[in-house]
This record gives sequence, structure tokens and C-alpha cells, in this order.
Amino acid sequence: MPKIIFINADGATREVVASTGQSVMEAALAAGVSGIVAECNGAAACATCHCYFDSNAGCTGEIGEHENEMLGFTASERTADSRLSCQVRVVAEMEGMTIRVPSVQ
Amino acid sequence: MSAVPVVADISYDALLDDPYPIFRRVRDTAPAVFVAAANLTLVTRFDDIMKIERDPATYSSDNPASLVNKVMGPTFMRKDGAEHAVGRKAIEPSFRPGTIKEHWAPKFAEICERLLNSVIKAGEADLFPALAAPMASLSLMEMIGFKEMPWETLALWSQSLIDGAGNYSRDAEIERKAMAAGAGIDAAIEAVLDHHREHPNPSILSSMVRADPPMPIEEIRANIKVIIGGGLNEPRDAILTLTLGLLANPAQKHSVLAKPELWPTAFEEAVRWISPIGMYPRRVTREADLSGVTLPEGLQIGLCVGAANRDDRRFADPDQFDIFRPRQSHLAFGAGAHFCAGTWVSRQTVGRIVVPMLFERLANLRLRDDAPPVLRGWVFRGPVSLPVRWDA
Repeated sequence: MPKIIFINADGATREVVASTGQSVMEAALAAGVSGIVAECNGAAACATCHCYFDSNAGCTGEIGEHENEMLGFTASERTADSRLSCQVRVVAEMEGMTIRVPSVQ
Repeated sequence: MSAVPVVADISYDALLDDPYPIFRRVRDTAPAVFVAAANLTLVTRFDDIMKIERDPATYSSDNPASLVNKVMGPTFMRKDGAEHAVGRKAIEPSFRPGTIKEHWAPKFAEICERLLNSVIKAGEADLFPALAAPMASLSLMEMIGFKEMPWETLALWSQSLIDGAGNYSRDAEIERKAMAAGAGIDAAIEAVLDHHREHPNPSILSSMVRADPPMPIEEIRANIKVIIGGGLNEPRDAILTLTLGLLANPAQKHSVLAKPELWPTAFEEAVRWISPIGMYPRRVTREADLSGVTLPEGLQIGLCVGAANRDDRRFADPDQFDIFRPRQSHLAFGAGAHFCAGTWVSRQTVGRIVVPMLFERLANLRLRDDAPPVLRGWVFRGPVSLPVRWDA
């Protein structure tokens, strides 16, 4: 049950205790983190759960082909840290990790 | 908790003519209301629909009694969970943003150009038959991977399937037409399937036969029917609605034409304002509490996204077309696992190709005072006639 810290574009932070195995999007929604819309509820079809993860963290898994294409259509700028949070599984190594939520989805 | 209230004093014709005042009344009455004219319990508030779409175990897309399954066969639109996901994943390659941009967009631009060239000298037209319907039909034909046929054929198949899926009165003629459309589609698939198997390409049929595992033929037939029934009206109506929204609001039109980067925003506002799919069904699998109203097990409910997209709890002044309203997500493409597979292709085709090209090519495009637009429908809604003039 790692503790993840979400930081919104306005600087507001939110600590979330997540369950391993669920997606980061699911953990965020369950805790009511604002700024993550997740219209398609995890089907990687809408690109509205876009977040910035530390790309050097080493625990966020590989970007799939479909996710990679969807990331080209996010409302906020795509960076090397961009992921769809519905495609990233919560793992124990995420303890203390910070995830930035973009200003628009 | 309270029982589902009943509204019995609305006529079906009023619903078809202008559902929005009715949606407002239903929305302000309760989270779920049985509307006698529709013979269905309607859910109309934005947050309730979002909640429902995040809980597919309680609110299933599967319905053994569904006419969709009877008319089309075992489609993924009426399945849940893993069963749905397999079919959805199979068609994904044809709908990827990159494939849309690089493969489909140039083809669709060409179709649009051809259609506009054929009317440009006339100086006036009804944009429904002159542009929107053939555009939606011809582009869907390409995407599926059918041999070329008159646009009217695919449009007729699409309408016949939709009518058949809504044929609750079991009208024999409607049923006959739906079955004829089904047979026509099966034959059209048969004619090209070997080609797609042997020549991999971005079309939907090619994705289906190349999926791992390949989609069984009866599922290919059923899912292509869903795509034809559910992939033609929506872009057609979105083209006309976006055009109407801009023509009826000249200040916004000038802003978009001056700043083309506003096109995507204008498109989203158009489908929020008049959502092409206004309602779709779910079935309650176990007794549920929806914001204080008790929904009994087995109840059929209709999620009115057309109403949710005008919910004043979420959108200020919701009946206005306003591309400058604060950015908010809407439900025009649904939500949850069944989130519209065609979302990105419609954003690209309608919002970046067809409507921009229409305003660019037809100078001084304007509505006609003597022939106002006609809008119709509540399950599906859009202009059925949009007469315009331009300087030829």
C-alpha cells in the first residue's frame, strides 16, 4: 500500500494510499484527486487521465503502442514524463513518489 | 430511498421535436424518472451517468432481450468486461490517432473536396444530402474496407439497422428492412474478406481478421453492423450541428475563422450542445441506490447523455452554444469501457477537415431566412435539413 503524492497544476498536493495492482488512475479517482477525468475508465481511449511521472523512477512499466499514440493527443503538452495513469500499475516501489497532474485534460 | 417517479403527460412527438425542455423537467424531478412516452426509466444528471458508467457490474450493457442482438447478432456493444474488451482491442489499430492522422485524414479530405466541388457552383444547398450524409457514408465505407458502393446504400443499411434495433412495436416492414440490410452487409463483407486477409491494411475488416485471436466470422458480421448502425449518423449529425452552431452565432464563427486553433473547441461544444447520440441503454443487474432513488433488479434504464450535457449543475447557461464556456468534459462520447471508439476519428474528420473546409470553400456561407433548419430526434438528434446559401 504505497503512499503516492499527487501535485496539481496550482501546486495543491494530495497524499493517496494506493493498493498495489490497481491502476494509478483508479487510486487517484478513489481518493477524489482533482484534475484526472478518466472518461473511458481505463480503456486507454480518451487521454483524459494524463499525468507526469518521473521518467527515471523505473517502476512505471513500459509504454504500450496504443498508449504511446494516445499520448500524442493529450490536452496538455506531452513530455518525456507523460503517461496515461490508467495504464500504470501501482507497485510497492512507488512509496513516496510524486505524480504531477496537468492543468487540463 | 424512494421509488422511481413516473411522468406520463409527455407525448413521444414532443420528445422527438425538442427533448431539451423535457430533459430539464425530468432532471429536476429525480435522478431516475420513468417516462411513459419513452416506455423507459431515464437518467439525466451528469454525475449520475458518470457514476453508472464506472460501475458496469451493477449497470450492465448486456441485455438478453435486446433488439440490437436480434437484428445484428452478438455485438461487443452489448457485452461487458473481458468479452467486450477482446472485440474492442481487435479493432483498435484502425482507430489509433496516428493511423487516423496519417492514413484516414488525407482520404477523408479528398472525399470532402470532391463533394464540395460538386455543389460549389450552385450557390445553395441543403447540407444534409449534399455534404454531411455522403461524407459520413463514404468515409465509413473506406474505414470498414468495403468495395466502393453508392453512399445511399450504406446510409440505407445504417438507417434500417437503427430502425430495427428500436422496433419495439415489432412492425413487420421495419423488421424486413433490417433483415435485408443485414443480408446486404454480410454479402459485402464476404466479397472483401479474403482480400483483407491477404493484404493487411488499416481498415476495420483487416484489423478484425488479423486480430490475435482472429475475430470469428459471426462476430465480424455483428460488429460491422454495430459500426454501420452507430458510425454514420453521428459524424453526419456532428457536421451539421457544428455548422449550425457557428452560422447561428456569427461572433463565434468570426472568432473560429480568425483563429483556426479554436476548431477543436468548437467541435467539442457542438457535440455537447446537441449530442448526436442522446440516449443509450443499460440494465440494472441488482437492486441499486442511485442518488436516493431505488432501482430494482432487472430494470432497463436509458442514460440520457443529451440531457446530462445540458445539466445546469455542471454547465452554466447550458442551452447556449458557446465555444468560450469554461473547458469541461462532456458525455457526448459516453464514458466507461464503451467510450466511443470513433472519438478521435470524428474529432479529426468533423472538427479539423470537413467543417473547416466547408467554411473555407463556400464564401459567405449563411442560413436561409426563408428555409430554417429542421432538427429532430432524442435517441439520435441532429439537423435533418440545413439549407444554406453562399456566394458562388
